[in-house]
Amino acid sequence: MTQSMRNRANWLIPCAAVGALLAALPQASRSADDPRDWLQKMNHALATRNYDGTFFHLSEGRVETMRIVHRVRAGRVSERLQSLDGSGREFVRNNDELTCYLPDQHTVLVEPRPDNGPFLGSLPQFGADVNEFYRIESLPATHILGRAARVIAVNPKDQFRFGYRLWLDEKTAMPLKTQLCDSRGQVIEQIFFARLDMPESIPDSDLAPAVRTEGMRWVRQGPSRDNASPALSAYRASELPPGFHLTVAGTQTIGGATVPASHLVYSDGLATVSVFVEAQPADAPGAHSTAAGADPGPSTPAEPPMQGLARVGSGFAFSTVVQGHQVTAVGEVPAQTVEFIAHAVKSSGSAELPRH
Amino acid sequence: MSEQIREQVSAFLDGELPNSETELLLKRLTRDGELRESFGRYALIGEAVRGTTRGGLITRGFTGRVNLAIDGESIPANEHVPHARGPRWWRPFAGAAVAAGVAAVAVVALQQRAVAPTLRPGVPLTAQTAVPAQGALRAASGAVPAPREAISYTVPATSPAAPAATFPARLTNYVFAHSKYSSGLAQRGVMADLLIESDEQQSPAVNEAAAHVAP
Repeated sequence: MTQSMRNRANWLIPCAAVGALLAALPQASRSADDPRDWLQKMNHALATRNYDGTFFHLSEGRVETMRIVHRVRAGRVSERLQSLDGSGREFVRNNDELTCYLPDQHTVLVEPRPDNGPFLGSLPQFGADVNEFYRIESLPATHILGRAARVIAVNPKDQFRFGYRLWLDEKTAMPLKTQLCDSRGQVIEQIFFARLDMPESIPDSDLAPAVRTEGMRWVRQGPSRDNASPALSAYRASELPPGFHLTVAGTQTIGGATVPASHLVYSDGLATVSVFVEAQPADAPGAHSTAAGADPGPSTPAEPPMQGLARVGSGFAFSTVVQGHQVTAVGEVPAQTVEFIAHAVKSSGSAELPRH
Repeated sequence: MSEQIREQVSAFLDGELPNSETELLLKRLTRDGELRESFGRYALIGEAVRGTTRGGLITRGFTGRVNLAIDGESIPANEHVPHARGPRWWRPFAGAAVAAGVAAVAVVALQQRAVAPTLRPGVPLTAQTAVPAQGALRAASGAVPAPREAISYTVPATSPAAPAATFPARLTNYVFAHSKYSSGLAQRGVMADLLIESDEQQSPAVNEAAAHVAP
């Protein structure tokens, strides 16, 4: 995995990919009010400023209140994301690792996320062809949180991806409100700050989890074993929606499986879809429903294969069975995108995944 | 819910609530689940009334009629009325009946989106979906970097007696695994979703065989 991939756990870097849209554009051709410049300012502000804010996350009529604390000190980034009214879960990220406090599960999960490079250097870089699939425009300015705000829209040009509307603070370019929208502009999910402070410094205590960890189980995950069979590694999407291409391929153990799964990542530069391919147990109902299968997988207790479409957060998942393998596509994209990609997955016969 | 809180919620959604009152509202919302639910409905209704659901279900004429209804004025059938706004406290709840209709339409639309027949590989794109030149379907290429780390979130051992229960947990693990590669603004949504405790979503649990347990 590349360094830039590791750093994507930062939730407010989010805007990194939007900012990356700009990388390929000639600076000289933009005016001072070019919306793409504002996205770049936002990207820079998110990565370099200290901030402490409380925001609302609205999705499907449900509201959650969350707090984000982000500190950049001596080139090191620390971040804390906390649910204030729900599960009590917290994510604390430092340069080296992401720690997930799950009090409802009496568990703390620690995932290594090494980061030895400059933070800004971790921003993903994409080609100019990304602009083929999104249209960036300014909308009328407004006020939010008592501040003047620029409103920028990142509109998808087709129905294979979602777009965004962003309300950026005129002074700092920090996003005060964001909306995830479909290709018709309908809001799917939105986040807006009720409070946003940008202090000069943030004490360590503000980055310490509030969860009491006495009696909780700590789980630290090490590197995965790359022991997928060649047959499993041969699976790829033979066709993709416009603009999507394979960016990452590898194997890892997913869930309670005893064998690794192939994990493929497809992206158009802004939207990302993961495809998981797992050998289906030979005695599972429907394991060979799609085609006569090679590599039917280990003999383990039968688990029915997942089939069809499911809503996952603001995105979708689509599962099917291909040649005795469970194939699931997941992403913050419209339903037809995950379905398209999942249906396109097939074994190429002899491909071998690159090793890391 | 008091009228004062309604005013505060409405003013906040309009970006016009003073910071001092915002703090108070925030505290109330953190404590009061029912108020949060109402807040969510207000936000949805507000988007509809403000017409930010552009090009879709809500027309400008519809918005005007809703606002007239909020003002308590009669609306001739099929008459296109100008955009008008009522008193703030009214707007979000305004016409709860109308709002309920809007919400219902939104839900139906979402369900339709989830189950609508979709494009499949090998099927030519329609004019609606087509994008210029490079938009043609392209085959996936091979040489790409590989992920280096495993995901630490796992589901419990499956129980043949209750196979259906493993579906959401398995998907949740996929989402966790996917979150590492989510790009851009989508990352924010994924992380927020994972923080939310959902009745419909099983929490990821620990694979006993793979986990290293520390004191």
